[in-house]
Amino acid sequence: MVGALEFTPAIPLLPLASFFVALLVGYFAPRLLPKGGAIPGIVATAGSLVMSVLAFFAVSQGDYYAESLYTWVVGQGTFSLHFGVLVDPLSAMMLIIVSLVAFLVHVFSLGYMNDEGETGLPRYYAGLGLFTFSMLSFVVADNLLMAFMFFELVGLCSFLLIGFHFREPGPPSAAKKAFLVTRFGDYFFLIGVVAIFATFGTARFVATGEGAHAFPHMAEQALAAVSGEGAMPEHVAHFLDVVGMSARDWFSVVGLLVLGGVVGKSAQFPLHTWLPDAMEGPTPVSALIHAATMVAAGVYLVARMYGFYALLPTVLAIIALVGGFTALFAATMGVVKDELKQVLAYSTISQYGYMMLGLGTGGYIAATFHLMTHAFFKALLFLGAGSVIIAMHHNENMWDMGGLKEKMPVTYYTFLSGSLALAGIVPFAGFWSKDEILYEALIYGAGDSPILLVAYAMGLLAVFFTGFYTFRMVFLTFHGESRSDTAENPHGVGWNVKFPLVVLGILAATVGLVNMTPVAEFTGAHIEFLHDWLAGTQGTALSGLGYEHYHHLLEDFAGYHAADIAPFVPAAVSLALALGGAGLAWVLYNVDEPTKHTEKLGGAKTVLYNNYYQDEYQVWLANGVTLPLARAADTFDQGVIDGVVNAVSSVSLFSGSRIKRVQDGVVTHYAAMLTLGLVALLVVFGVAGGWF
Amino acid sequence: MVPMEYYLLLSAAVFCIGVFGVLTRRSALMFLMSVELMLNAASVNLVAFSWFHGNLSGQAFTLFVMALAAAEVAVGIGIILTLYRNFDDIDVTNATTMRW
Amino acid sequence: MTSRPEFADDLNFVSGLAAVALFAVMAVVFVGAGFESATAGFPADVSVTASLGYVLMDLNGTSLAEATPGFLAAFETIDIVLVAALAGAVFLADRGDRGGDR
Repeated sequence: MVGALEFTPAIPLLPLASFFVALLVGYFAPRLLPKGGAIPGIVATAGSLVMSVLAFFAVSQGDYYAESLYTWVVGQGTFSLHFGVLVDPLSAMMLIIVSLVAFLVHVFSLGYMNDEGETGLPRYYAGLGLFTFSMLSFVVADNLLMAFMFFELVGLCSFLLIGFHFREPGPPSAAKKAFLVTRFGDYFFLIGVVAIFATFGTARFVATGEGAHAFPHMAEQALAAVSGEGAMPEHVAHFLDVVGMSARDWFSVVGLLVLGGVVGKSAQFPLHTWLPDAMEGPTPVSALIHAATMVAAGVYLVARMYGFYALLPTVLAIIALVGGFTALFAATMGVVKDELKQVLAYSTISQYGYMMLGLGTGGYIAATFHLMTHAFFKALLFLGAGSVIIAMHHNENMWDMGGLKEKMPVTYYTFLSGSLALAGIVPFAGFWSKDEILYEALIYGAGDSPILLVAYAMGLLAVFFTGFYTFRMVFLTFHGESRSDTAENPHGVGWNVKFPLVVLGILAATVGLVNMTPVAEFTGAHIEFLHDWLAGTQGTALSGLGYEHYHHLLEDFAGYHAADIAPFVPAAVSLALALGGAGLAWVLYNVDEPTKHTEKLGGAKTVLYNNYYQDEYQVWLANGVTLPLARAADTFDQGVIDGVVNAVSSVSLFSGSRIKRVQDGVVTHYAAMLTLGLVALLVVFGVAGGWF
Repeated sequence: MVPMEYYLLLSAAVFCIGVFGVLTRRSALMFLMSVELMLNAASVNLVAFSWFHGNLSGQAFTLFVMALAAAEVAVGIGIILTLYRNFDDIDVTNATTMRW
Repeated sequence: MTSRPEFADDLNFVSGLAAVALFAVMAVVFVGAGFESATAGFPADVSVTASLGYVLMDLNGTSLAEATPGFLAAFETIDIVLVAALAGAVFLADRGDRGGDR
């Protein structure tokens, strides 16, 4: 199936075609699009899904694909800028995830948007198509600049889709906030991209032919040269002289700069404030963008560049601590929320914290595993929430729900499947992946890097809160007595809502089977499929992208050595915590008429409900710090710079207004000036010519 | 004979008297008379050099200068008539509408 | 009643200084220029005026006229210029709004 990989560029281009169809046909000939552009979107994402599966099979035969497609800036005596694709196990996996979730969200949108009689649908489906194109292109990008461009483009699509109902006051403001907060992080990312070009002369992740080099490999060579083996690449040596820092320090700075974009896009502390507000967008958008794919872009980027990050222990520790802290921090805030989608938003922030924790502690496999399982169960939970929202006529307050279990069985059981996965109850998917992250944190922390144990502790504590808020959400929404009339008679949902829920429900229950590490250790059976998938081949040009290589880097450069701890006890501890949280929620909320127990937390509840006042803090930063600086800069610009320019022009104006008065209309004056001029000329010629 | 410098000095003197008249006279007719003076000074210069070099071209040229002077005066008087019609006065310092 | 001619004392003599300066410069240049004391002059036996007439018509009547280039073209041109000046003067003097003889 070698030919399948040659069609990789078509995978993102099909949704782009559906974008153009929805946009142009929707504007010029709307009657040709009876569903407002849904059919082209569904067909395009289905096509992308089929081709992603074919690519997956081709890669599983050991056949990678790295190709440069178009050089848009040809450098003369310097580097060139190009677009290219890279299909290796990581990107093949991510392609399937993105295209599957996009396809299911398109089908779900038929039920959420079309059947609810929303207007402006071509704009919606065009936005979805453009987003899918951008995300798929980001996944297959083979160099950091191309990844950055599509990173920004997904941010733009997020802005367009969050602000879909732009005539109401909330969504446009939320869209602006999302765009600005992520843009703030992307600014540092851009500086990081420039720094990488300057340091390495290339931004490629992998070296394809014609003498190209990959920057993770060059960084590895540079650090090896510092400790005495091999030669430092001369471009790097030259730049390190310019910047005056040691290789490790400078690479850490660059890694932190790129991390700025990751923190913004994946909603880690402190740039997490945009994600709860992004729930103003339609629920399918929340499911696609803010749960499964766009926020995954940051984590995917770190995984893609892991050959670079694995060399830098300081940056890895920072990633782990930020991730662990975010996991705990967001989980505590999710406990007190009253709206269904808000709980899920904080849950998303928390789970991405887990993935960052996984990447920071050297658990590359665990983090990508959690990325995959989370994409499925979080998309499931959001789509289930969407189903509930349709039923409740767009009322999201959980305290108005209740008793929906009997009336919406398909939604209930699939939502329960997703919740069990989220809370991490065996044998659902979330248990295997989250548990493996915590296990990797523990063994590397207990090995040679004790600071990782702090992150482990934060992640472990967050498990309890995760179990609690997840089941609080389930019980308040579905169990007990109906607390309002709408809950008594919910609006029915059709097959286009139930079909994606069922598909994702099955996946949330079963996808954990691909990498059950504790079972593999226990039985000795070779069932760690994901580990094998991501291990990478040896001896090819693309071996630098596999986990075997990363493991060597982590041991040699980052000093990560694993302690020898069996996985059963940590697994049992985290399972016990999850069950404990779920059990507390059962006791408190699985009654016919639950009370608002969170009120008993008093002042703590106020702080949590107000998100630790992070939103107010960021607004204060903008108003109190940035605005005065901007005013000062504006005064300087208008006063000094414009003043200088105006002064120069005023010289000309003033002198002109004075000199023009020479022309006074009196002819004899002109004659006098003529004569004087003649005299002067004669004198000059005479002196020069020696007449006197 | 008379040294050349005297002829040139005469020519220069008459020319400068004409320039003086152009610069200071207010009446347009006096202005034109001064212009005639300048032309005749140039003619004197031409004839002097014709005699200095023994070449008749200078004197022939002088004839043409005189004819041109006459033509110019004819047109000039016509212009003064128009000036009087527009400004009711032939004072050249009075007609100052083409100014800044 | 006639009025005696009066010295025009409403003139602005300051501008005239430019003319005086011009004369000063020219005088200095001319006096300082070294001319040969011997001038060519014209032969005594030839009539200068007659020669001028022949030169104007491009004819070779006298020995002096043969030595000088012809000026017939310029003569004709001056003729045209005089006619044009005459016509221009008449045109400028015409007052179109009057007509007839007033």
